[in-house]
Amino acid sequence: MEAVKKGTCAVGVRGKDVVVLGVEKKSVLQLQDPRTVRKVVMLDDHICLAFAGLTADGRVLIDKARVECQSHRLTVEDPVTVEYISRHVAGIQQSYTQSGGVRPFGISTLIAGFDPHDTKPRLFCTDPSGIHNAWKANAIGRSSKTVREFLEKNHKDDLTREATIKLTIKSLLEVVQTGAKNIEITVMESYGKQTSLALAEIEAIVAEIEKEKEQEAERKRGRHAATAASQALMAQANLGSTDVSGTVTPDS
Amino acid sequence: MEAISHAGTVLGVLAADGVVLAAEKKVTGKLLDLSVTKEGGYGGSGEKIYLLTNNVVVGVAGLTADANSLVNYARTAAQRHLFTFNEDIPVEQLAQRLCDLKQGYTQYGGLRPFGVSLLYAGWDPYYQFQLYLSDPSGNYSGWKATCIGANNGTAQSLLKQEYKEDIKVEDAIALVMKVMSKTMDSTTLGSEKLEFATLTLDAETKKPRAKIYRPTEVDALLLKHGLAKKEDAEMK
Amino acid sequence: MEVSFALTGKDYVIIAADQNAARSIIKMKGDEDKIKALGSHLLMAYSGEPGDTIQFAEYVERNLRLQQMRNNHPLRPQAAASWVRRSIADSLRSRNSYSVNILLGGYDMAENTPKLYWMDYLGTQSDVPYAAHGYGSYFALSLLDREVQKRLVISFPSFRVKVVDAEGVREVDVDMSV
Repeated sequence: MEAVKKGTCAVGVRGKDVVVLGVEKKSVLQLQDPRTVRKVVMLDDHICLAFAGLTADGRVLIDKARVECQSHRLTVEDPVTVEYISRHVAGIQQSYTQSGGVRPFGISTLIAGFDPHDTKPRLFCTDPSGIHNAWKANAIGRSSKTVREFLEKNHKDDLTREATIKLTIKSLLEVVQTGAKNIEITVMESYGKQTSLALAEIEAIVAEIEKEKEQEAERKRGRHAATAASQALMAQANLGSTDVSGTVTPDS
Repeated sequence: MEAISHAGTVLGVLAADGVVLAAEKKVTGKLLDLSVTKEGGYGGSGEKIYLLTNNVVVGVAGLTADANSLVNYARTAAQRHLFTFNEDIPVEQLAQRLCDLKQGYTQYGGLRPFGVSLLYAGWDPYYQFQLYLSDPSGNYSGWKATCIGANNGTAQSLLKQEYKEDIKVEDAIALVMKVMSKTMDSTTLGSEKLEFATLTLDAETKKPRAKIYRPTEVDALLLKHGLAKKEDAEMK
Repeated sequence: MEVSFALTGKDYVIIAADQNAARSIIKMKGDEDKIKALGSHLLMAYSGEPGDTIQFAEYVERNLRLQQMRNNHPLRPQAAASWVRRSIADSLRSRNSYSVNILLGGYDMAENTPKLYWMDYLGTQSDVPYAAHGYGSYFALSLLDREVQKRLVISFPSFRVKVVDAEGVREVDVDMSV
C-alpha cells in the first residue's frame, strides 16, 4: 500500500543472540514533546514492534495486539511466542482487506523478540495484505527496497551484538541522510530484556561507520591512482597501441 | 483538511505552572445574541473552547457540528474513566480515546471522517501539565506550544521564535495574546472575537483548576496587555 | 479458614497471607502463594472461594498489565483499587460472581505515600492504615487497634453534619466534646 511506502523507514536485523530494531525518526520539531513520538513500542515484556505507515492505524493495531498478549497469558498461562503474535497481527490486517465497508490498515510492522524458554532471537514482518514471514533481516517503509538490497548484500548469519547494531545503523544510513539524531535503536537482548541506545551511543557508531567509509574511499582512491599509474606505464610501454584502459586492473 | 485551514485559529502554550489556550471566534455579527454568554455557564461562549473534565480544557478548529459531538464523546469518556478508576482521566488517555474514535471514522465504511483538529490543555499527576494536538486522521502529538486553524504557519513560526523553556503562565498569557493579535484577520481584538482559557494548579488544594474567561474578563485581559480595541481606549 | 494481614508504615506497606490450600478439613498444600505482585509497586493478597480467588487474581493481573502496556505507566494504587472494587461489584450482580476478599497494598510513586485498601467480596472498599481478612482478623485487628474504642460501632466519636438552605449546600463542624 502507498501509505506504507511513505512512512518512515524501519529496519530489523537478527544476530546470533540479539535482534535489533532501528527506525528512522522524523526530526522532532522544536516545540514538540519527544515523549509522544513513538515508533517502536512494547507489545509485552518480551516482544517489540516497529511500524511504518499511518501512525493512527498503528496505534489501533498495536492496542489490539497488546490485548491479545495479555489475553493469551490469561487463557493459557504462557506468554505469546513471537510467531503467534505476528500471525495474530497479520490475521487482523488480513481481515480488514476482506470484509466489506472497511479500509485496510495502512501499516507494515516488524515484530521482534524472544520466545519464552528460548534464547533464539526472532524477527517477523507483516504487511497491510496480511502476509507474515520470518526474516533474518528486513526493512519496511520509505526506500525499503534499497535498504533490503543493502541488507541482502551485507547480512551474515550469527552476527554479534555489536555487529548487529552496526549493520542496522549502516542500513538505515542508506536512507537517513541526517545521521544519528534521526535514528532510534532498540535492542532485544534476551527474553524480557530490552534496551534503547542513547543518542551518544548511536552517534559513536555512526562516526565509526563514517570513518570506515572514508577509509574505504581512501583505499579506492589509492587503487584508482595505482590503476592510473599502471595504465600510464602500459601506455608508455606499448606506444601507439590504443585502448587498453579497463583491461588492466591490478589486484590489491 | 480544508475546513480546518479556514477555521478560527486556536493557540496553546505550555508553561511550567500551567497551560494557556486562546481561540479566534468566527461566528460574529451585529445581530448575534451574546447575552447568554455574559452570565451563567462556566465561562466562554461555547464556540471554540470547552471544558471536558476537571483537568482538561480543549480548543477546537474545524466543523463546529463535528466538534460538538466529539466534545460530547470526550466528556462521556472522561466520566467513564472517573467511574471505573475514581481518578481524573490522564490527559494523554483522553486524547487517545478521541483519536481512536477519529481513526475509526477513517477506516470503517460509509462514514465521513471528523473535520476537526483539537488542542488539549490538561494536567495529571503522571506528567503534570501537558498540551496535545490531534488531527482528523486520528494522529496526536504532545507540544510545548502549537497552533491549529487559519494562519497556523505564521503563528507556529512566531511561537518558535518567542517561546522560552520554563516560561511562566503570566508570560505565556502575554505570549499567546501577542501571537494571537498578529495572526488574527481583524486588526482589533475584542471578546466578541476571542476566547481564552487557562489551566493552573490551585495553590492550596494542589488540584487542577480550569478557567475559561468570560467576555468581560477577556476584555480586561486585552486591556491589560494593551491590545484592546481602539474605540475602547478613546472612550476612556 | 484463611487469613491475611497488611499494615502501612511511614513509607511502606507490608502484606502477609497464610500458605494453606485446604479442602473441607484436609490440608492439601502448605506452600501456596496468595499474594500477587500486580506491578512494580502493587501487591494484592486474595482469599475466599478456592478457584474464584486465583481466577479473579489472574484476571486482575492481566488487566492491570494491559493498562500499563497501553499507557506506559502503571495505575496508581488508588486507581487500581477502584478498578478491582468495580470488578468485584460488577461480578456480584452477575450470574456467577467472584467470592474473593482482597487486601491491596501499593506505593504511590506520584505522591510518595504507601496505600492500603481493604475490599470484600461484596464490593466494599476502604482506605485503611492496617487491615486483615479471615478468622485471623478477629485476633489481629484487636491487636492492631491500639484504642479499641475507635472501632466499636456504638461509640460515635464524631458526626458529619451538612445543611442545605438558600445559600446552597455546606458542611458544618460540630464539636463533640461539648
